[in-house]
Formats: sequence, structure tokens, C-alpha cells
Amino acid sequence: MKRKSKPIIRVLQYVILVIATLYALYPVWFAILASGRLGDRLYTLDLGGMFFPTEWTFENYRVMLFEKPFLTWLTNSLKVASITTVASLIVCTSAAFALSRFKFRGREFFLVFLLAISTFPGLLSLVAIAQLLTALGLYGKHAGLILAYTAGTIVFCTWNLKGYFDTIPIELEESAMLDGCSPVSAFFLIALPLAKPALAVTAILGFMSGWGDFVFASVLVPAPDTVKLAVPALYSLANSMSVPWGYFASGAVIVIIPTIIVYLAMNRYFEGGLTLGGVKG
Amino acid sequence: MSGWLGRRKWITILLFLAPTILAILVFNVYPILLNTYISFTNRNKFRPNPDCDVVLTGLLDPICWPAFRDNAPTGLGKPYVLQDPILGNYDTLMGKLFTPEALLSLVLIGVTFAPLIGANYFSKKQERKIDKKIPTNLVWGFGILIAVALFFILNVPKSISSLMATGDFITVVFRTALFVLIRVPFTFILGLILALILNSENLPGKTFFRVALFVPWGASSVAILMSLVWQFLFRQQGTINQIFAVIGGTGPIWLNDPILAFGVVVIADIWFSYPFFMVSILGALQSIPKELYEAAEVDGAGFWTKLMKITLPLIRPAVLPAAVLTSITAFQMFGTAFAITGGGPTRGAGVPGATEFVMVYAYKQIFQQQNYGTATAFAVMIFIMLFLATLYSLRVTKMTKGAYE
Repeated sequence: MKRKSKPIIRVLQYVILVIATLYALYPVWFAILASGRLGDRLYTLDLGGMFFPTEWTFENYRVMLFEKPFLTWLTNSLKVASITTVASLIVCTSAAFALSRFKFRGREFFLVFLLAISTFPGLLSLVAIAQLLTALGLYGKHAGLILAYTAGTIVFCTWNLKGYFDTIPIELEESAMLDGCSPVSAFFLIALPLAKPALAVTAILGFMSGWGDFVFASVLVPAPDTVKLAVPALYSLANSMSVPWGYFASGAVIVIIPTIIVYLAMNRYFEGGLTLGGVKG
Repeated sequence: MSGWLGRRKWITILLFLAPTILAILVFNVYPILLNTYISFTNRNKFRPNPDCDVVLTGLLDPICWPAFRDNAPTGLGKPYVLQDPILGNYDTLMGKLFTPEALLSLVLIGVTFAPLIGANYFSKKQERKIDKKIPTNLVWGFGILIAVALFFILNVPKSISSLMATGDFITVVFRTALFVLIRVPFTFILGLILALILNSENLPGKTFFRVALFVPWGASSVAILMSLVWQFLFRQQGTINQIFAVIGGTGPIWLNDPILAFGVVVIADIWFSYPFFMVSILGALQSIPKELYEAAEVDGAGFWTKLMKITLPLIRPAVLPAAVLTSITAFQMFGTAFAITGGGPTRGAGVPGATEFVMVYAYKQIFQQQNYGTATAFAVMIFIMLFLATLYSLRVTKMTKGAYE
């Protein structure tokens, strides 16, 4: 039996969808429009200029790429986020393996403990972390930031990977162990390749936590320009009176658009690879 | 796993857990300890330095540790000491809460909500009965009616404002709770509507809309940058007001008005968060067997009945954990409010602004005012609240089960 929608309902559905799509896309579209306009022309838009690129220029991009240290900021961000991703994957895969494949006393307690301890917001532990990094001589250096980011991703990443490993039937590994594999190599040879969707999602979210972060980066590596990360650097550009807003917009577009594309490409994985109910909210 | 037993198993487990344990101890447990300790001291911008001769300070403050003393910054200022009385910081934040007047206000607000809790309890009891049911709608309607009546009879707005006068803690937490109570249901409803539409059969252009509506999720990982774009849209001479000017009116100064600024932050934050709900509801909808709807249609059920009796009960297991966890993250929202309003607008110096939610307040106290003592006391209180909320969410979502259960 095929259910047919009445025409009026169809129309209503499309009206809602179109309004929602405008809401969803306009801020991003506006950032793109603003990136192609000179700063002082942003405050005198006509109706056309609000929706279409009427006075498009690459001047903002040229200034950002060649006159500001924007490329350095981008490289810094890429470097910090990538190292964080690799480090957190290594640490979390090993922890998630132990928590998923061994039955031991205190396992459940450890999992709950991880979650409970992570309810202490990162922003609030920042004073202590900054002080600790100062004492270690890592304050203002990327290494310190990477350490803090990696630690920050551990709880989510361990939980998510452990949840996914739990769904992979243990019988596969047990049959490999009958053939003489050790539990560890059975896991890494058989279960790990099956966990690719979860690993991909965890890696992307780990990367994004470094790539998009503002608070940690702005506190732990505040200056000089050569070590700053892209997001906090753009934040101070946007709030500085002497810099046209269009510069910020062009820099923001360069950061935001690839991020969105990565998420869209990963869309499918998000449904299968996330086991912990909510990550982003 | 049956492979290894005894000592070898334990060594393997410890080896695999070691990096995690180390990182958690250094970057989570230690900051909590230091934070809690500082919350009992008077550390602030005039007293930034540790007095390493005090046992606990010497033990907890990394600058006092022998190996790191060389790296310590040699700042000016006196050393911080324990507060006298020891709970002084907590007293500043919420001490006035324990006056009779404030407690009475608290009780009055509690009494107003009581009919709703009663209705919830009563309707659940009714559902278990087989015959002579009182309809749930009636129970809830009655409960809501009493609650609204009590709201006016007991003059709850007055109680709220007298609570707000007890100090920063209640003010900030209350505003944040209000934000969560508005933001999460709206996000859920928007996500539900969009998911229901996207789930309907043969809808031309479905893929396009699906992808387009997913875009804000991607943008939410660089939330601070997109929030700055939202801020530009709502500036005094921003795009929204320019649209007003084109139509021939004058827009308000959005970010200077407490209520409008609050609304702008809510709208922007819903933008970041509805795709998550949309995707989780869509996933849950697709797992509902079509036969259920067909059977209901044979019995003459309309859209509303199908929604209330089939769709919502069946997506509940998937959506409830998402809603609980979203509420916890919404409570900790920082970037959106910080980038759009910076916590403002304020009514005066030293008073939290209209959008100064818990994390924004903490950030300003720590990094702008450098009131470490009060800020860490605030942090401890927030931690207790979040901790309890997370324990509750674990009970709701039953997430700790492993491969063996």
C-alpha cells in the first residue's frame, strides 16, 4: 500500500524545508559574500548585495594570504591537530582494547570514573594546566598544547572505540587464537580492521577538537604571531577595530569551508561510527 | 577473553591502560585537586604567588616542586593564603542563599513545580491500569493548570528576583538553566519536524535538503568563527538591521537589549545543534517498521495519533540519551555566547550580564578578573552539578555495559 500525500501537505513540507535551508545556509553563504567584499562596503549593502556577490574582489584573500601571517597560523593549526589525532588514536585504541576485550575487576568502575572525571569542564582546569605547563617549560609551545588536547580527547575517544569494539563479535578473534594467535595480535589483526568506521569518526572528531578550539589555544599559546593557531588568531582579527571585517571573513572561509566538506563527506560514517549517544550538541 | 590468566593478564591490561591513566591523572585529576584547593584560598591578581612553606601549597602548586622551580615566573605580588573563614569564597558566591527570605523563595518555586511532578507520577500509575483509566492528557492538563495558577498566586517572579539578588552563583546558574530549557526543546522540535519531512517517501530533492541541513554540524566544530559571523549579522549596523532599513524600518540594537541578546544567542546555538538531533531522529525513524503505520491507518488513525502513539514512543530510546547529553553540553556552552555578546549586555560593573552563562562567567572571572579564589569555588559547585547530571544520564542511557553482558 503506497501512501499518497495530499498536495497541500507537500507544499507545506517544502515551505518548511526551504525556510530551514535558508536558516542553515545563509550564515555560511554570508561569510563567503563578506570575504569577497572590501571591509567598508559591508555596512552599506543593498538587497542584492545581501544575497549575491555583486562586488566580488579577491583583495581580502590576497591580504590574508600574502600580507598577514595567516598561512603560518594555518600550518600551526594543521600541525597541532594532526599530531593530536595520531597521539589520541594510539592511546585510546590501546585503552579501548583492554576495556573491551578483558574482563577484569574494576573495569566498569574505571569506565564510569573516566566519564565522571571528564565532567570537570576543560575550561575550568585550564588554570591548573597552564601552571603545570609553565612549570614544565612547555607554556607557549605547541608541544604543551598537543599534550593538553590529547588528554582532552581521551575520554570520548576511549568510550566511543570501546563501544564499537564491543559490537565486533569476539568469536572471530577466538578462532584466530585457536590457530595460535595471542589475544593482542588477534585483536590487532582481526578486530581493528573491522573497526575502521569508528576509527575514522574518532580521528576526525579528535582532529576537529584541536582544529576548532579557541580557549585552550588562546590561553596556552597566546603570542607571538609565529606560534598562534588559526582560530584564536582570527578571533582577535575579528575583534580588532583597525582590521576590516572582510579580512576575518576570508580567513574564516578558508578554515570553515574545508571543515564543512570533511563533515559532509563523513556524513555516512557518523551514523555507524558513533556509539556514544551524543558528542556534539 | 580466555587467552591469558593471572599475572600476565594484569600486566597486559595495565600496559594498555597506562598512557590513559597517566594522562587522566595529570590533566584531569590533578587540575581538579589544585582547583579545589585554590577555591579555599584568597588567590587573585594581587596575590598570585604560592607560599611554598605551607604544606598543601608546596605539595599542589607546581611552581613549588623542586624540579620546576627554575621555570617559575618571578612575578610581583604577595603569596596567597587560606581564606578566613575557610569557606569565604563559597560564601561570597552563594552565602545569602541561606537567609530565611531566599530559602522561602526556593520553597515557593518548588511548590509551583510540584503539580507537574505529581501529574507525571499519577499518569504513569494510570498507564499501568487496564480499565477505568483517567486519560493522561486530562491529568497533565490539570497539573499544568494548577502549576500556572500557583505561579501567579505565589508571585513566583518576585521569588526569582529575590533569589537572583543572593549573588552571582544563583543568577548565573538560573540563566543557564533557562537557556537550556529553551534551547533543548526548540532544538528537539526543529530536529523532529525536519526529520519527519525528510523521512517521507518520494520527496523530490530529498538528498539536497539533507545535505544542506547538515551543514551547520560541520560548521559547529569551528563554532567560535561561525559565532562571529552570527555576531556580525546582528550588529547595530549588521545585515539583519540593513534588511530592516531596506524594508523601511529601524531594527533594534539587538546585542544591547538583554532579552534580544539572549534570543540571538539561542537562535545561533540552535543553528549549531539541530543537525545532531535531526540525524539521530532520522536514524530512529528509519528503524520503525512501516507495517505499524499501515495497521494504524486501517484503524483510522490520523497524523497526530500516529505521531503520539507510534512515532514518539518508538524513537524515545534513541532520542532520550541524546537529549540528556545535549542538555549537559548546552549547560556548558561557551563559544556561542562568548563570541556573540561576550556575556553582555550588563546592567553595571560587577553584575553578570544577560548572556553570561556558567562557562562565560567562569572564563571572565579567571582570565579577565583573575579572581582565582572565587572562580575555582564556582568551578567546584558547577562540577558537582555536572557530576550528578552525568551519573543520572548514565542511568538513563545504560552505557557502561561491555561485550559480555
